[in-house]
Amino acid sequence: MNSKKPKEKNEFNILHLNQKYKILDINHPNKALNRRLLDMGLTKNTIITIKKIAPFGDPIDIELRGYELCLRYNDLNKIKLEVIE
Amino acid sequence: MKIALVGNQNCGKTTLFNALTGSNQKVGNWAGVTVEKKTGIIKGTSHELIDLPGIYSMTPYTSEEAISCNYILNESPDLIINLVDTTCLERSLYLTTQLINLNNKIILALNMNEILEKKGQVLDEILLSKLLSIPCIKISAIKNENLDKLIKSINNNNFYISNVNIFPQDIENIIEKVSNSFSPKINKFSAITEIEKFSVDINEVNNHTFNINKKGKKIKYKFKKLIKKNDSNKINTEIKNQIKSNILQENIKSDIINLQQNYNLNLEHIFAYERYNFISKVVSKCINKNKITKPQKTITEKLDKIFLNKFLAIPIFICIMALIYFLSVGVVGKYSSSFINDGITSLSNLIENKLTKLNASSWIISLLCDGIITGVGSVLNFVPQLIILFLCIALLETTGYMSRISFILDKLFVRIGLSGKSLIPFIVGSGCSVPAIMSTRTIENQHEKQTTIMLTPFIPCSAKLPIIALFSSYFFARSWLITSIIYLFAIVLIIVSAFIIRKFILTEAINSFIFELPEYKKPSLKYVFKDVLQKTSSFIKRAGTIILLCSIIIWVLVSFNLSFTYGVNIEDSILAKIGGLFSWIFYPILNTNSWAATVSAIQGLVAKEQVVSSMAVIAGLSSEVSSASIIFNPNGVFSFFTPVTAISFIVFNLFSAPCFGAIGAMRKELGSTKKTLIAIAFQTFTALLLATLITFFGNLIMIFL
Repeated sequence: MNSKKPKEKNEFNILHLNQKYKILDINHPNKALNRRLLDMGLTKNTIITIKKIAPFGDPIDIELRGYELCLRYNDLNKIKLEVIE
Repeated sequence: MKIALVGNQNCGKTTLFNALTGSNQKVGNWAGVTVEKKTGIIKGTSHELIDLPGIYSMTPYTSEEAISCNYILNESPDLIINLVDTTCLERSLYLTTQLINLNNKIILALNMNEILEKKGQVLDEILLSKLLSIPCIKISAIKNENLDKLIKSINNNNFYISNVNIFPQDIENIIEKVSNSFSPKINKFSAITEIEKFSVDINEVNNHTFNINKKGKKIKYKFKKLIKKNDSNKINTEIKNQIKSNILQENIKSDIINLQQNYNLNLEHIFAYERYNFISKVVSKCINKNKITKPQKTITEKLDKIFLNKFLAIPIFICIMALIYFLSVGVVGKYSSSFINDGITSLSNLIENKLTKLNASSWIISLLCDGIITGVGSVLNFVPQLIILFLCIALLETTGYMSRISFILDKLFVRIGLSGKSLIPFIVGSGCSVPAIMSTRTIENQHEKQTTIMLTPFIPCSAKLPIIALFSSYFFARSWLITSIIYLFAIVLIIVSAFIIRKFILTEAINSFIFELPEYKKPSLKYVFKDVLQKTSSFIKRAGTIILLCSIIIWVLVSFNLSFTYGVNIEDSILAKIGGLFSWIFYPILNTNSWAATVSAIQGLVAKEQVVSSMAVIAGLSSEVSSASIIFNPNGVFSFFTPVTAISFIVFNLFSAPCFGAIGAMRKELGSTKKTLIAIAFQTFTALLLATLITFFGNLIMIFL
């Protein structure tokens, strides 16, 4: 990735396989989903890695806490992330 | 003792359940195989074991998860076996910490250790047991390892409620305060739920306290008013208590606000964050990496490189689906079917000869040969094809490819308001609509779930296969091609209908999608075999019961006239009269008033294969032959069928209201009779419209050809 500074809103327009991100905060407008994501371990300071991208570009498979989870781009985009170099 | 089996999705609960109870519940390699609770008795004991759908936390996200949560909260099982997949230990223990906070007695069963060890890691279960202060046992559900140890420790019955503190001291203090403020004292989990109710945006905190104050004043005002009115003391004390609890809450509230400001996170987030902090510490102590090896690529990673490849994924998917239908409908099915068909015909001839020699009356011979053997046999014909279809679906489920299909095609389904999750019911539906409709419970979005339920019956199920096969094999040289076209047509129809439903009926449909890709697994032959056997035997059982009964009824109705004289001309039979009343409905489809086709199609409501069976019985009586493939002989009642009307008759039977079994499942999952009726009306109307259009344009094309 380019040496962009971590922005307030995460803007990964182009996803790269194996890119690592750190979760800063999570505030999904869908309350039930927000709770589910927290329950699944997407909490502050958790490191996530982009592992697989579906052939049509969505959904995206991420790795965290030793397991993998598939999310849609739109939901992933609502998590505040920071790129880890 | 009542024991609940609780754990994450796809961690092997049903496999363990089957191993412990010796029962034969369906297992699969995707989330959501178990959608209802199931009960069994543990072998060699009197303990009742309850298999619950997989959950990740005590906050349910889908309706099938709610079943598990409600069971744990309301039925208070004596013991919980918390099954844990050790390859994702952190996420699995999250639920465990919640179960601990609920004051449940827990035994932790650690599954899938062999996969963890392959990754070069070893779990220290004794240390884990110490840190969580609950008993932990390493088991292997699939290899039946250490299950005796598990049963033994259940029998010993020396379980205790874990007193481990999960949160940092300041949070534990607040939890304690809240749980003490209730009488009787509530458990930590409920206390946390109470605290989370305060969850507000930090910016709104000041506003919120203001509102509470105002509310307090309001209650006081009401209170004074009530005293003036001399109302009963009971109400007075109630209101006093309310004020008191408000004050108490005010006290705790300041703590909570402080907490929220310290973390700068939502309350829900704070609790999840601290739970995972606790778990990470525990896990890092308990997992020993015994080798410092390079992270090797697992088989799953290697296979996903191919199956989920950007360019190969779609072609591979199409090839796999085509292969399945080619195998079950095409070559293999055809050969095996004709084998059975010959057997049934010769059995029928044999019985006819024997009975004639014995001087049996002609109506008995007719009932046996034309009614029962023809009716039941015409359905049994398709058993070999179905076995292959069931086998393929079972393989898709157990290997883990099923979930990959959701992953690959999700993006396409989003556009029509569905998700990759709808695809699983559609594929299972090619076997039978009933389990398919039940599997929609894993879909969290209600609109998406309802749309999927309405559309699942459009997939040609195994019982509709005989209808397609019967017509296409007689009228078309390349029957497998026609069959594939019809399946493709069904898919197109589903897409178009979903689009229509989203545009006009259930309009609000922005949904999210979270799920997991399971590891690829070598299919367990035992379970594949059992699954196929169970589905096939239930199909055969239906042939022996419902189809048998209907065949006899049809034979009676077709052999007698209204004054109950036997051996009348078929056109004068009771059935012909009944069918004649409704045959106008099918005129636009068949271009003729056929009572025989009408009654056969209506019987599809009982079971779709009954359509074929009924046609065989009627045709068998009206002519000399009883073999299903000669239903369309030129002198019979079905001789009017042309290739065009054959296709439109198939289309009508495929897409009209499903059988009563499927309607029942739809009613159950939609939870509303009105919605079920709308769905059925929608399906039947679509079927009539499509079949009419096919006949009209088909005939037009035939003229020009």
